[in-house]
Parts: sequence; structure tokens; C-alpha cells
Amino acid sequence: MPRKLAKELLAGLSRRDFMRASAGATLAALEAGAPRPVWPAAGSKIEPRADTLILLWMAGGMAQTETFDPKEYTAFETGLESKAVLSTFPAIDTKVDSIRISQGLERIASVMDRATLIRTYQAGDLGFILHSRHQYHWHTGYAPPLSVAAPHLGAVIARSLGPRKPDVPAFLDIGQNLEIGAESDPLKAFHTAGFLGAEHGPFLVPDPLEAAASVRPPAGMSQERFRGRYERYRKLIEASPMMKHGSGFHRESLLRAQENAHRLLSSPAAKAFDLSLEPKESFDSYNTGRFGLSCLLARRLTEAGARFIEVTTEYIPFRHWDTHENGHTRALAMKREIDAPVAQLVLDLEERGLLDRTLIVLASEFGRDMMVEGRPDKRVRDQVSQQPEVMTEMKHYGMHRHFTEAGSVLLIGGGVKKGFLYGRTADERPCKVIDRPVRIEDLHATMYHALGIPPDLAYEVEKRPFHVTRDGKGRPITDVFA
Amino acid sequence: MLLSPACLLLPLVATAADLDFARQVHPLLLARCGSCHSGAFAQAGLRLTTRADMLAGGVSGPAIVAGSSERSLLIARVTGARQPRMPFNAEPLADAEVAILRRWIDAGAPVTEARPARRSTRPLALRAPKVNAGPDRVLDALVTRYLGSAIAPPVADALFARRLYLDLWGLLPTPEQLDEFERDRRPHKRTRLAGSLLADADKYASHWITFWNDHLRNDEGVVYHGERKSITQWLLGALRENLPYDRFVRALLNPEGPAAPDGFLIGVNWRGDVSASQIPPMQAAQNSAQVFLGVNLKCNACHDSFISHWKLKDAYGLASFFADKDMEMYRCDVATGEIATPSFLFPELNGSSVVATPAERRAEAARLFTMRENGRLPRTFVNRVWKTLFGRGLIEPADDLDAPAWNEDLLDWLASDFVGHAYDVKHLLLRIMSTRTYQMPAAGEPFKPGEPFRFRGPLPRRLGAEQFADAVGSITGEWRLIVPRQSGEARHAREWQLKSTALTRALGRPIRDQVTTERLAQPTTLEAIELANGQTLAEILSRGARRMRGEITPAPVAIFDSGVASAAKVIGDVPLRDARRLWLLIEDVDSYDPRRVVAGWANAMLEGQGGEMVRLRDLVPEPRPERGAIHFRGDRKPAEALLGAVPSAIEIDLGAADFTCLHFAAGVDQQSLASDINPRIRFFVFTEEPDRRRLIPPAGEPPVRAASWPKDPSSLVSRLYRHALARDPSPLERGVALEFLAAGRTEGLDDLLWALFSSPEFQYIQ
Repeated sequence: MPRKLAKELLAGLSRRDFMRASAGATLAALEAGAPRPVWPAAGSKIEPRADTLILLWMAGGMAQTETFDPKEYTAFETGLESKAVLSTFPAIDTKVDSIRISQGLERIASVMDRATLIRTYQAGDLGFILHSRHQYHWHTGYAPPLSVAAPHLGAVIARSLGPRKPDVPAFLDIGQNLEIGAESDPLKAFHTAGFLGAEHGPFLVPDPLEAAASVRPPAGMSQERFRGRYERYRKLIEASPMMKHGSGFHRESLLRAQENAHRLLSSPAAKAFDLSLEPKESFDSYNTGRFGLSCLLARRLTEAGARFIEVTTEYIPFRHWDTHENGHTRALAMKREIDAPVAQLVLDLEERGLLDRTLIVLASEFGRDMMVEGRPDKRVRDQVSQQPEVMTEMKHYGMHRHFTEAGSVLLIGGGVKKGFLYGRTADERPCKVIDRPVRIEDLHATMYHALGIPPDLAYEVEKRPFHVTRDGKGRPITDVFA
Repeated sequence: MLLSPACLLLPLVATAADLDFARQVHPLLLARCGSCHSGAFAQAGLRLTTRADMLAGGVSGPAIVAGSSERSLLIARVTGARQPRMPFNAEPLADAEVAILRRWIDAGAPVTEARPARRSTRPLALRAPKVNAGPDRVLDALVTRYLGSAIAPPVADALFARRLYLDLWGLLPTPEQLDEFERDRRPHKRTRLAGSLLADADKYASHWITFWNDHLRNDEGVVYHGERKSITQWLLGALRENLPYDRFVRALLNPEGPAAPDGFLIGVNWRGDVSASQIPPMQAAQNSAQVFLGVNLKCNACHDSFISHWKLKDAYGLASFFADKDMEMYRCDVATGEIATPSFLFPELNGSSVVATPAERRAEAARLFTMRENGRLPRTFVNRVWKTLFGRGLIEPADDLDAPAWNEDLLDWLASDFVGHAYDVKHLLLRIMSTRTYQMPAAGEPFKPGEPFRFRGPLPRRLGAEQFADAVGSITGEWRLIVPRQSGEARHAREWQLKSTALTRALGRPIRDQVTTERLAQPTTLEAIELANGQTLAEILSRGARRMRGEITPAPVAIFDSGVASAAKVIGDVPLRDARRLWLLIEDVDSYDPRRVVAGWANAMLEGQGGEMVRLRDLVPEPRPERGAIHFRGDRKPAEALLGAVPSAIEIDLGAADFTCLHFAAGVDQQSLASDINPRIRFFVFTEEPDRRRLIPPAGEPPVRAASWPKDPSSLVSRLYRHALARDPSPLERGVALEFLAAGRTEGLDDLLWALFSSPEFQYIQ
């Protein structure tokens, strides 16, 4: 990039740079090789509709036919033919006449008049089902292996917009433990800011009930001692002969980072992390388990000024939405876990006047089906223990296979249409997308668009542009915006 | 193969017609026509992948006539003016799409001109600049000439020693080592110290392996359900024996034999389809070119580069050396029909030998990379070493050797000296470290963006995550442990030997999916938070402070340790002698789903002197048992406590009874044996209260012998400063440090350690 152009771009970014500087990164970071933005060639300014994005992650592959895209219901009975079953729950009405969703999501149905429902998300065709690789693809827009380390969506947002409030980390990740056994490393591989630099990486809160501890002194240390330690630290630094000579630039960067950390750890905003401060009634209304409480934490952090929050049902192989058997029973349990808190989150944000400026996105790496693994026209190796042709036990009843042809995405708030249905899938198996497919780059472009980030924004890495949607080709689904 | 194209690079420039082939036209044709009209078996012989393809056309003639969309068959077909309409049996192109094609053709079908960075004017072979000085003086003479003035006086002994120990061993010098060095009055004592540190093969290898792990993407135990192979053992051996660099590179490019480092060529693979630009031979080409030759082939692994002079065929030419046979070229994941044969990046070096079999291909690549005429190999390496020791390369970025060096003579002289000494890496290090240039005071101020770089001395360098952890370990005595899978003793570990933690990731230890040739030194808020309240460091400091104050007794050793157990029952008949209490522990090792593991102790019985048996499940639970009675300590019923979730701990008061043996059949509950749980757990029996963090205590010496810390606070502060910062505290600092310790409590020391380790002076090599 010509230097003159770079200068102009940077001049145009001065306010954001200021915000980033105040949040810990420094202008010196630019010199230190931090990636610079390369604005799109044809980019016009996008007016942001939302300030905050909350991603509600249905980890493990949420069966769309058991949640937001119900098909014909067949009750379980011994001897039932597998191929005859499309949904194991009946459909229910929602607040919106044209939209019916699956039984067990009554609370979400009651707020459907605030939502846009996309039924035609088509997952990446990666030739093999590996949840963590599909999740990597969903969260970065790129499929590994890659020649540069791709940033997580949250890191792109953190880098592009900076924190909303300097005391609240711009990228918060709630509910995912990264040490989950066999797929720990693949998870870690995309829970990063990649080449954008660690400054923009996730602030990890694996357990919402222990969130307060992540912004508190370490276990066993009182606030008083923690403050005293930092005060003496400052005195010690000031007493250092290095303050007189030696490297000012590095010293100051490090001290600023410490300052930011301690400000964050002792700021009033840190109270947002503490669920024990939530009134009991409200706490209980979210408390369906870890995911529910994570939604509550997300609400508190949104109020405090968060920029991007991912809340996950948590990916653990064969658990949660990863229903390899006993799918009906397990989908029921998962719906119990998500229904109330998702609806409550919507209502609470609305009541606080925040919903219009907060985009909530509920999504999963792919859908599920009882018969088809992969796509109807491009099957992949079946990784699910045998689905019998005829069901003899309840555990055979459910959506056990990984279906990448269609999945559902729910969008709420942040300037999207209210009570709107986008895209259609077939009513007969294979329940393919028959109208308006949505790919990951377009979904990303839509989320970015809501936040005012153009889909062909690129960051420079190794002198080449890395686009925030694949090759800059994502197109926002403008239809979903009001 | 393919289907997840990720052409990361698209040109930023527009053509005269404001339409860009690579950005607008090519992707459109690729998306709508590419499935039939590309590759070796293109329909009707027509490929639509390049301008030339379209001009050449297929069986119906040229697809385009440059300058006239009216006369172009492509337009006639997509509009349906000529049947059959294309795309065949698919949705027609939108008007806007047709308009793009028309505009492009009418503008003369321009193809974006790449704006390649210029190829280096430096000849490939090394030059040997003439300098009027002995070999020991050349570097300093060149730097003096460059600076236009004398080199600044060297830093003091202690600061020099801190640099040297951290640069060669990755460890801080201990106060004793500093004393010894300062007392040394022999001539050339600095060079001597460098020599003696280099001579410790283990410590040297334990530090420099991190450099190579980053460059070669080697990470212990990180797999993505696709092929990946560790080269740690080979790497360690190569560093220990100081394998000459040319042989080192040859072994990586042409691994032969069972102990060879074939993991480098295997690359990092995930199960499933991958982009053509990321198949293993292409990864090998990209990484070997980047690491060894300072050539970035990432763009042109997918298409001709827009930012350099490298072409798609250059990447495939190199990749073909690492493939089993000649490769078909893919442009942006679409087959081109062209076949690439092995060809080196610098064709002037290409030999005439037959390169057919996989073994011949790799052998030829190894030869080409390391032949004497290829000055790029040593230049790239000496530049990386320079960058490591000075914080900035002679050439920046160090991955682009086409860029100019701030001192070409210095680069070439150093590279020639390296080659002249048989690619001896330790010689290279010693050569640099013996100079006054290496011993200059650190030049701290950053250069302003946009201003050309001027060398004024080494830049302060941030400690790497491993250096930081090891430095903390050497002061506090807290090291991570390598625990054997069978029962036995644990060993102390240097940080690099184990997987990353939240702390080391925050401090910049990379995820080694990509080549990392530079870790960002910029401190971040997230990292400062991790230092301020992260559990990893907090535990190290709290234990470390206790250890330094002599409050930690050696952890007790289990009287029974099952080793890692999975499905099989573990039968134990454990003799007891004078045991007053028992602890039965079950720990998870790395089960696939630890939360679902249920395990326990079946038929657990205590045998008395006379052979009488007491079943543990019959004992009475008692939170605070009276003296002298046998009790289960705790609130739960023994039957529940004996079988349950993992980890678990049971404590039994044996009272005054004299038991001789504990019998049990420990194991995993049937329901936990499912493959998606895959339990891996470990059973322990202790007769003393176990240290949960040290169930398997380490044997042998830690990497740095634990110091004995003075009880007197002032002396302790002196020693601490000397070890951490290689200097004495100023009176002012001593005063503040003593404030930390004033209450005489362990936590004061804990806090002082934190303050020192969080200080810029500790975290930088000045």
C-alpha cells in the first residue's frame, strides 16, 4: 500500500485509534507491526445500526427441524420407520402468523415478533464433518489449514470498532471451556485474534457463575491487598533508576497495559460480571443452567458497554447439541435450556431500550437430519452410530446425523425486521434449501453491516490484504434490515 | 480436494476501465462457469480461467473478442442470443453480471497488471566485502563506518551477562553466576562466557528449540484429527550436537530414516477437503521458502502474486519437489490443466539431473536450498539470528529477503563467515556476541513510522513466554512437571516441554498452525489482566513465596500409584506400616469427557494384624472423628464416597488400630466406558496428607538449582534484585521493597515477586 494512502487512512481513523489507545493498544502498536486496515476500494460509509453484537452459539449442530424449521411431526412408536420421520416435535404458533416453530420453544415463540428468522443457512462443504473445523469456519469465514492465522469474528469486530467502553473488553467469550479433551486444540485454534494480534483476542469467561472472579483479584487475595500491591508496584517502578534512562517507549507501553488491566479490574463496570448482584427473581428467570446464566451475564455486560459477546451452550464432543443418539430427549433438554433465557434476554434488552442497538444472532455450525449426513448431493462419511431403518427404542428417535445443507439462524434487534421470515426449505426429505440460500460470508457480511463494517474491509498481513469476509465477497442480506 | 477456496489476496488496484479482472470478472466466471469450463477436462475444450484461455477459446472458437462484447461468443451464450444459453441448465446470469462482462470485454479485456515489488538487486551468491580488519573486528569496523562514529562503550558486566544468559540459555544468570563473572579478571572474559554457555548443549538446546518450534510449526501433541507429526526429538538432537545449518535444512527437506524430521514436510492437516493452496506439498513449499529463503509464496500458491514478482508456477515448481509426482496447477482452486514440474525459485541454480521419484525430488530440493551458490539460505538465517539478538533484522521484514538491508556489507560478510565456518550456528552466535556492537547499550526509542530505520544499538527485547516462565521458575523454584504415565517419579520441566497455558498464551506463545518468525512484543491489556489475576501465575507466586520462606515441605509420596488406568480394574494389595490415616484419591488424567467419568474403589478392605478384615463401606462417616476410633472423615456415606465423580478424595482415620494391608479393586464404572467418554484416570493411596498439586513429586534437580533465601528481609531483597534484574536495588527501591515485606507475612513476598515480575525491567532484555 502506498505510504500516502496509508497515512490518509490512518488520519481517517484517528478517533478509533484514540479509542483503541485508551483501551490498551497504543499507537506504538502500529509501529510494532500491528496490522493496518486497508479500506475497501469501493467502500462507502455504512451507518451502523447496532453497537453491540451478541452471538448465541448453539454448539454441536442444532437440529433445525427440531427447533426453528419444524417439518411434519411423527410421534414415536416402536417399529416406526426412520425415513418417515422429519420432526419429532409438533410445531407451535408464534406471535407471527406466518412463522411456526418447534414445541418447547414457547417463550421464544412469544418474542418472534421482534425477530427475523433465516431458515436457509448452508454450512461450509468441508468434505468431512469435524465440529471444531466447521466451527472454525463459521467463526472466521475461512477453513483451515490457512497460510495466515485467521481472526475470530469477535476479534475482527474488536479490532475494527474497538471497545464501546474502555472498561469492558471488546471481545467477550462466555461459557466455553477450552480444555475439553480431544478437540481442545482445534477450539483454541480459532478462539484467537490470529494475525490481528493478541490485544484483540477473547476475554474468556468459561463459567458465568465465576465470571466475577475473572475481573477480581486472584483467589485468596482481598481487594485491599490487590490495590495495595498495585500502588506499591507503581512506587517501585518510580523508584527504579530505569525511569531516568533506558527505554521509555517499551516501559510506557507495558505500564499502560498494567494501568488498563487494573482500571478494568477495579472499575464499576467490573460489577457487571458479578451475577450475585442480580436480583433473585431476575436471576431465576434466566437460570436454566450455565447457558441461561451466560445469557444473563451477556445482558449485564451489554448494559455495561460490551462490543461483542459470544455466549455458547458449550461445545463438548457428543454433548449438548451434538446429538448422536437419543436426539429427541436431548433436543428437549436443550430447548429447555435455551428457551427462557433467550426470550428473557430479548425482553430485558427491549425494556432497557437497548434492543434496537444490539443485534442478537442465534446460530449453529450446521443443522441435523435423521437420514442425511452432509448434503443430499454430496454425502460425507457417516459418523453417527447406526441409525436403524426401523426404530425399536426411544434412543433411535431424533436427528442424529450432521446435515450441512440447511440450518436456521435467528436475528433479533439491531435494526433487523421484526417478525420476518427469510428463505425456505423443502417440506419433504431431503429438506433442502429451495429459496434464498445464505452462506457464511453473507451471514458475516450481514452482521458486519449491522455494525457498520464493510464486508470487503481488509487488514494488511504480510503486505497483502486479508478480507473480513472471504475474499471480500460477502454480501449483506439487505432484505433482513428494516 | 478443494472447495474451500480462500484466495486471501485480491489486487487493490483498479484497471483503467475501473473494472478489475481478478476482483470482479474472474470470481464471477469462476462461480458461474468454473465447474464446467476449467481444468484439464473443460467442457468443449473451453477454459474461462484466464484472459488467454478465453482468447484461445474452445471448439466453438474464441470466447471473447477483446474490445467488442457484441462479437464475443461468451456474451452471446450467457444472454441466450446464441443457443444453448449458458450456464447450461442453470439459472442465467443476472443483468448486472452480464454488464460486468460486457464492460470488461469492451474495455479490451484488461488484466490487472501486478505491481510486483522489485526483485532484489543483490546477486544470489554471497559477496565478500573487503574490510581492513581481522575477522574478530570486521563487524565492529562495518558498524563504526555505518555509524560514522565510535561504537558506544559496552554495557556493564552484569547487564551483559543477563543478555547473554537469556540469549543462549533462556535463563537468568543467578547471583552466584553474576558474582563469578564479575570477579573474572581474565582477558576476553565476555567471549569466554559466551563460549562456556554455548558449550552446555542441553541448556542451549532448551532455549533455541523455541525459536525453531515457532519457525517450523512444531508443537507437541497438538493435532487436528488430520496428519501432523512432532519433530521435537530430532530438533533437540540437532541442537544438542550443533548440526551444521546446511545439513539441518537438508534433513528437514529430505528426511531419511526412522528418526528423521518428516513432520516438517507433512505439515499441519485437518481432516476433510482443503484448498489446493494448502495441500501438504504446497505447505512444504510455502514454509520452506519463507523460513529458509525469505520468500513469501503464500499469494502465489493460489494465483500470480500482485505484490511480488512470484508467479503461480513458481509455487507449483517448488511444491513439485515435495510431491510424489508432477502436479496439476490450480488457480484459485480451479484446475488449470497445466502441469508443473519441479523447478527452483532461482532457476539459475536448477540442475540437469533427473528428478522423477519422490526421493529424487526431495534430494534435489535439499541440494538446491543448500548449495554454496545459493547465498539466500545463509543470508536469511544470519538475518534471523541478528533479528533475534538485536530486536530488528538487518533486513526487515525478515521474511522478505528481496528487501534491502541497512548494511549490505554486514549482511554478506556475516553470511560468508557463517558459510566459511561450515554453517556452524554456534560460531555465528559467538561471532556476533563477541562484538562491541552486541554489547552496545540498548537503544530504546522507537523509530517514527515512515522514517527510515537507523541502527543505534540493540532494541530492548521482550522476554518470550518460555523465558518469562523459566525466569520465574528459577527464582521461585516453581517449575512445571512432566509426569510419567506409569507410576514413578516426575521430572521438572522447562516451559517449552509442555503444552501452553493461559499464561504463556497471553505472553505470546503462538498457536503453531502457521510459521511464526516474530512474536509481537507489544504488551497487551489482556496479558496484563492475566498477569494481574490469572490463576496460573497467582499459584506459582503463592507457592513460590512459601517455598522461598521455607514453608513448603516436600510433597509426600504415594504408597500406591496406579499409573494411568483406563478400562481395566486395578487390583491393589498395599502394605501399611504405622499408618494413622489414609487418603484415597482418584484424579483425571485426560479423559475425553472427564465430567462423565464415574470411578471408585470396590471391595476396599483393611486387613488387621490377625487377618481380620474391615470393609471401608462399613465405616461410620464423621466430620470430626474422635481420637482413637476408625472413621471415614467427611459427611458422605462411605458407599457414596467410594464410587462417584472424578476427581475424588476420601480420608480415613485409622485411629489406634494397627492394619497391615489395604486391599481393593479400583476401576471405572461400567457406564463410563463408552468411547465418547474414554476415561483415563489415576488412583493413589497416601498415608500423609497429599499435596493436590504435587501428587507425583519430582525427583532430581530442577533446571536451575533452588537457592536458599536469606531470612533477613534486606538481604532477601538484594538477592532478589540481583537474580531478577542483575543489579542491586537502589536505596529508594530497597525502601519500597521492604514495605512489601514489612508485615513479615508470606503474602508480602508474594506481592513483591509479582511487582518485580510485572516490571518493564524484568520483562525486557535491556
